[in-house]
Amino acid sequence: MDERRRRFEQLVLPHLGAAYNLARWLAAREADDVTQEALLRAFRAFDGFRGGDAKAWLLAIVRNCHYTAAARTRKNVPLPEDADIASDAPDPECSAIDRDRARKLNRAIASLPDEFRETLVLREMEDLSYREIAEITGAPIGTVMSRLARARALLRERWTAETKETVP
Amino acid sequence: MSCERAAEVQAYMDGELDAVAALAVEQHLEACADCRALRDQIAAMRGAIKSEARYYRPSADFAENLRETIGMDEVPAAPRGRMMGTRSFWTGAFGGFAATALAASLALFLWLPSAQEKLAGDLAAAHVRSLIGAHLIDVESSNHHVVKPWFAGRADISPPVADFAAQGFALAGGRLDYVDGKRAAVLVYRHGAHVVNVFVWKDDGSLGTGAADANGYHILTWKKGGLFFAAISDTGRDELRTLADLIRKNTQGQE
Repeated sequence: MDERRRRFEQLVLPHLGAAYNLARWLAAREADDVTQEALLRAFRAFDGFRGGDAKAWLLAIVRNCHYTAAARTRKNVPLPEDADIASDAPDPECSAIDRDRARKLNRAIASLPDEFRETLVLREMEDLSYREIAEITGAPIGTVMSRLARARALLRERWTAETKETVP
Repeated sequence: MSCERAAEVQAYMDGELDAVAALAVEQHLEACADCRALRDQIAAMRGAIKSEARYYRPSADFAENLRETIGMDEVPAAPRGRMMGTRSFWTGAFGGFAATALAASLALFLWLPSAQEKLAGDLAAAHVRSLIGAHLIDVESSNHHVVKPWFAGRADISPPVADFAAQGFALAGGRLDYVDGKRAAVLVYRHGAHVVNVFVWKDDGSLGTGAADANGYHILTWKKGGLFFAAISDTGRDELRTLADLIRKNTQGQE
């Protein structure tokens, strides 16, 4: 058992940060619960993990936990809220304009439909390959590519719209 | 409005193309304004996401709970309904049972990885960029008397430059690159069919050293003489270590 836990610590836990970030972008305030359940599920299922890409394996579990929970509670997936993002400790080095710009970008990402948002997060924040994203999301590579293209186009559109609103 | 080759341009920007396909896209980009616009949009959005979008990290409380929970040998299968959103379940059932030694060892993994992981990802991305793009080498020479002075005035550090062709690692040249927001001097070595990129920057103490894998590439990081080194390649880890040892021996100063 100790050996099992040690291997889990070595292979899986280094990806906790990625797991949490994905959970946060998918499940907003439920991120702690989703991540915790995912890590526990991963720990229990670890005997069945036969090497390979531990990060993709864990992120797929995170994603499943999120969608299972979201389906169970039958509520809409909560998006990161303004107040939430605004409450993040502001970086004193950042100007108000920078913070505003960042807040709008985060809001635009949060507003994307789930399948676009998760694909974008996996690609641009985790630097995963199409193949890895396909594995995690259970979608064919062609679908990953079209989702990514849609995600980028939508994000650009919404971010531009957000930014323009402030211009009098 | 958008060109029929837009998907290729996207794949190119995502590092999914081999060198031949990438070259074809680069040629197409020169001829197609729509695709150039797409390329610039993807790059701008990527820059904005990397520098301004939130990368969420677990809170200290959360990490503590998780440490305690996984620290238990047997994780009882709780009724499904209780798993989600029942904070007291965790703290109530498992609070106080945590083995402190394990908690301490877990802490290392809980707090280091985000920075390390990000570095590994950035290194892999820079490595792939160097392989698919035209920008592998700025100064092409196997002569360290050419490569070393080239860095002077361009990089804020002076990396140790030597050719190890006799040991199987031929110096191909050098370039400047950005990794993790830092300007890095890059030494490029060829080992058979493999390219090894060795990124060097001034050590600011923010990163640990060791071995890692990212996107199928091996990464080895070490410090010496106030410099931080990160070598990445698809060559074997042992080969990478051999090169690292050669470079380390050739570096003045303390480990």
